[in-house]
Amino acid sequence: MNVQIDSTLKRARGYWFVDGFIEMAAGGLFALLAVLLLISGNTSQASSTSWLLSVAGEISIAKFVGILAAVLILWWLKDHFTYPRTGLVRGKRITGTQILIMFRNAILFLLLPIIGLLAASLLIVSTSNVLSSMPVWFPIGLGVMWAILCVLAGEWMGLRRFRLMGVLILLAGLAIGFWQLALGLPTFPANIRPGILQPLVLESINRSLISLSWLTLITGVILIISGIVTFIRYRRENPTPYMEEA
Amino acid sequence: MSGSLQNLSDLDRVIHEPARLTLVALLSSVESTDFLFLLKESGLTKGNLSVHLSRLEEAGYIKTEKTFRGKIPHTEYRLTPKGKSAFDQYRKSLGLIFDGKK
Repeated sequence: MNVQIDSTLKRARGYWFVDGFIEMAAGGLFALLAVLLLISGNTSQASSTSWLLSVAGEISIAKFVGILAAVLILWWLKDHFTYPRTGLVRGKRITGTQILIMFRNAILFLLLPIIGLLAASLLIVSTSNVLSSMPVWFPIGLGVMWAILCVLAGEWMGLRRFRLMGVLILLAGLAIGFWQLALGLPTFPANIRPGILQPLVLESINRSLISLSWLTLITGVILIISGIVTFIRYRRENPTPYMEEA
Repeated sequence: MSGSLQNLSDLDRVIHEPARLTLVALLSSVESTDFLFLLKESGLTKGNLSVHLSRLEEAGYIKTEKTFRGKIPHTEYRLTPKGKSAFDQYRKSLGLIFDGKK
């Protein structure tokens, strides 16, 4: 009986993903960020710090504008398409403290890759080995992290497709890591001077950014495909809006 | 009477009915929802759903709000604190019964 109750609870929790709109929006956002990253990676500048700061700035703006636009579009779509077909659900009210915690976690999650790159660039001398192998471990680590998040979210909401998405993201991270390994890693000299090391660090960071871009792009595509498939199934099961009788 | 049997007889009869249990479980994980969502998710007929919702409302477990979305009537339901507490207690009792069996 408790298993049935749990499954009912999960169904209600996963209702936000019932129509595929959120996955499509998130996938679109990921793809947009990936394209921005790829463009930034091709326009490398003389100073690595200013280049990284400009990339971080562009991405932060894109994330802010993109998330705001996605929320407004989703709100409209849910109101005009989903709620008339399968009903309106208002999520649990959350306290101010919970909002702050969620906001902090979201910012940390979104900025983690950028902060990681900036931190790595500041620790050149002591972490040259870590930096040289960054194009390999960075996409693998990020892929593992995103895959775990995806699977956990799927478990919490009882959505099996999230498990599959997690596995695909993990495979994508591994594939990108091995691809970078096959290309060969930048070799750092034993006695290094910041002036000489700079182009090598820049190459390592640039390749890590390319890895991040591809992983983000592939994740975006996976999300978009999952969203489209979910939407088609939802549309087929709920072709017309329902009217409550007076 | 053994502990397990005592727990069994203590189960809340209003919630124990499968259709109402489904409704309370659905309402427990959201702030509020409408008739349509409950209809689709529970798989009940409109008449049956109305009867069970009335029963839950009589017991003070849910609160109903009738509004309009444009010109269309819209009814929303939410679990009251009493309903939430009853549902939590029911799940605890159920856990005790199954633990007692092991």
